[in-house]
Amino acid sequence: MNTSPRKLNLDGWDDRYEQLRREGLREPAYGGPLRRHVVREKDFRLEQLQFDNSAAALRLWNFLLTENERLHQARANGDKIVGTMKDLGTVPVMAYALPGVRAFYPDGAWWTPCLMECSDRLLQQAEAMGIDASFCPVRAMLPAFENGEHFPRPDLLVCSTGAVCDDFSAIAQRLEHLGHSIFWWEIPRRRQPDPQEASCALPGNLFAPQVQVDCVREELQRVAQSLGKLAGQPLDDQTLAGGIRKANEVRRLLQALRTTVYSATAAPLPALEMLVAEMLAIHFCSDREETIAVLEDLLAEVQSRVRQNQFVIGADAVRVFWVNPVADLRAMNLLEELGGRICGSDYMFTHALDLIPENLPPLDALARTALADPMVGPTADRAGRIVRECQAGHAEAVVVSRIPGASHCAREGEIILETVRRKIGIPAIELEIPPVCDAMLPTLGSRLQALIETAKARRTK
Amino acid sequence: MICAGIDAGSRSIKAVLFDTDRMQVLASGLTDQGVEQERLAAELFKKLLRDAGLERSQIFSVVATGYGRNTVHFADTTITEITCHARGVHHVAPDARTIIEIGGQDSKVISLEDGGRVRDFAMNDRCAAGTGRFLEMVATRLDMNWEKLAEVACQSKKPALISNMCVVFAETEIIGLLADGKPLPDVVAGVQNSIATRVSALAGRFVSPPVYFTGGVALQVGMARALEEVLACPVRVAPQPQFTGALGAAILAGLSRRQGGL
Repeated sequence: MNTSPRKLNLDGWDDRYEQLRREGLREPAYGGPLRRHVVREKDFRLEQLQFDNSAAALRLWNFLLTENERLHQARANGDKIVGTMKDLGTVPVMAYALPGVRAFYPDGAWWTPCLMECSDRLLQQAEAMGIDASFCPVRAMLPAFENGEHFPRPDLLVCSTGAVCDDFSAIAQRLEHLGHSIFWWEIPRRRQPDPQEASCALPGNLFAPQVQVDCVREELQRVAQSLGKLAGQPLDDQTLAGGIRKANEVRRLLQALRTTVYSATAAPLPALEMLVAEMLAIHFCSDREETIAVLEDLLAEVQSRVRQNQFVIGADAVRVFWVNPVADLRAMNLLEELGGRICGSDYMFTHALDLIPENLPPLDALARTALADPMVGPTADRAGRIVRECQAGHAEAVVVSRIPGASHCAREGEIILETVRRKIGIPAIELEIPPVCDAMLPTLGSRLQALIETAKARRTK
Repeated sequence: MICAGIDAGSRSIKAVLFDTDRMQVLASGLTDQGVEQERLAAELFKKLLRDAGLERSQIFSVVATGYGRNTVHFADTTITEITCHARGVHHVAPDARTIIEIGGQDSKVISLEDGGRVRDFAMNDRCAAGTGRFLEMVATRLDMNWEKLAEVACQSKKPALISNMCVVFAETEIIGLLADGKPLPDVVAGVQNSIATRVSALAGRFVSPPVYFTGGVALQVGMARALEEVLACPVRVAPQPQFTGALGAAILAGLSRRQGGL
């Protein structure tokens, strides 16, 4: 059997799994064949996807697809569960600093309708609860909270407010009205310091007024007290500093993975696995230690492939910078089928890929990191980083994928595309990708193919 | 060397036979689109070959483009409408810098560099309001054919304002306007303006003259004028605008086989 790097569909993975087993594959407790997620969890979308054929990718997928199961197990083992909503990488760092506490990301339920091809009817149930299709697919978390069939009800539910998408805010408020008590913390919209104002440097070459950093630090202090109360142990500076060091371990691994994959002459890992891996930065897929192990495996696989000049996508593929996560994972396969590869990404949480300063008081460092969130600042700041990363990654084209109903992207696509065109002059398109995009595949394919043709034609300029 | 381009659009299939040595069109034809797209495309292709007195073996390469390009299995390769319209328009109008293409089911704005290469593009394939489908709906509702609709629009003195952004609701609005006694020519011209406005929103940042208008809707008298008004610049209708996609496909068929790519 050919075991060089390549993509496999689910049938191919059935054989590959048996082969790996015969060769002595050692798996963690959540391991097993990918097929079982279709049979047991009704993750039907897996049947339409192409996966990387490595054991490291298998571990990544199994880790992702067993999150709810692992959370229920953790609850049974006595762990405290914290739901961290509208938070792309701050409160989870605090929660995992405490022993016996795990954070998860209820908003992540927005991928459930995609994975289950809407068979779970979460979106329809959300509509019946007054949150219709004009809202972000994150609305799927509302019925998931109510029916308890997905993640366990958390012991503590924390949600940021302030510089938050309108639709998300409405969904979270509806959740609270349904009786799910929420611990709110406020994050202001990041702005440039006024000339006379004390300024504070943030990760990602950003600046904010000191008063905003102070405000967020005080808010995070409240969150820390609440988490400490839940854990029965105060979240002091020393404990938090330990949590930050561990979070940075994850971030360093992700930085190394991104650098290795995106800078390689051809793609050593498919776009889909890279998207899933990057998402681990947000809340460690409910297990920080295992996240580190999964990423170490993946990085070792990728480094080995690069050393041996083994790739899954050819060197001729057009280098595409991708902005925003896709509601339907199939879209990432589609890009590669049409001759593209990812050379950089901004999946809305680039601040969670930057190292948290370890030379500052821990809460101050976290406050600065939280304020560097691309979603709490002007889109122009985000566009600036995208342009810099496009240049660094030698991007030939940019795709901004819109999430239907998500209010954060009402004009962001236009601003990002305009900035990219003006500053680096590469072709750029915006695509709207719903949770199941089958009906739109021809039109999505046309746009992506046209983008790739345009970028390729420019090579001969 | 003779190459063929097949543009399998949403409303019709267009085909062009092109002599790449003499850079001239040998034959072109069009047929309505249907369920059996490949059969329809194949029959059209055979008819063109017959008309031009050619055998299939004399065709060096075939490129399919358009919405249904992937159903044309006898083509050697497929290329998107964006690239094909760009090449086709550049052939008939080398000075073109912007192309507006309005088809039956989508609309596109393509920005060109010197030499006719695509700089950037924008597409609307999600909403019928900026496409020929809107005109078709109005023609059906008013029981007129395409040519008559254009003729009526030309008589307008004060085009009506169609405020609805959705074709389905606009239909109700049109009926209401006519019931209120609004002159028919003004209503039809209002529909043309409405389409032009949607396309101009798509064009936004791309428009730099000369602007060429192509696609089947460019044949509708009055549409170019409507576009000129909203874009505030001259809009020229490309020669035989319904064939520029197929023409570009035929030209690219020669290039792609000769150069191993675009």
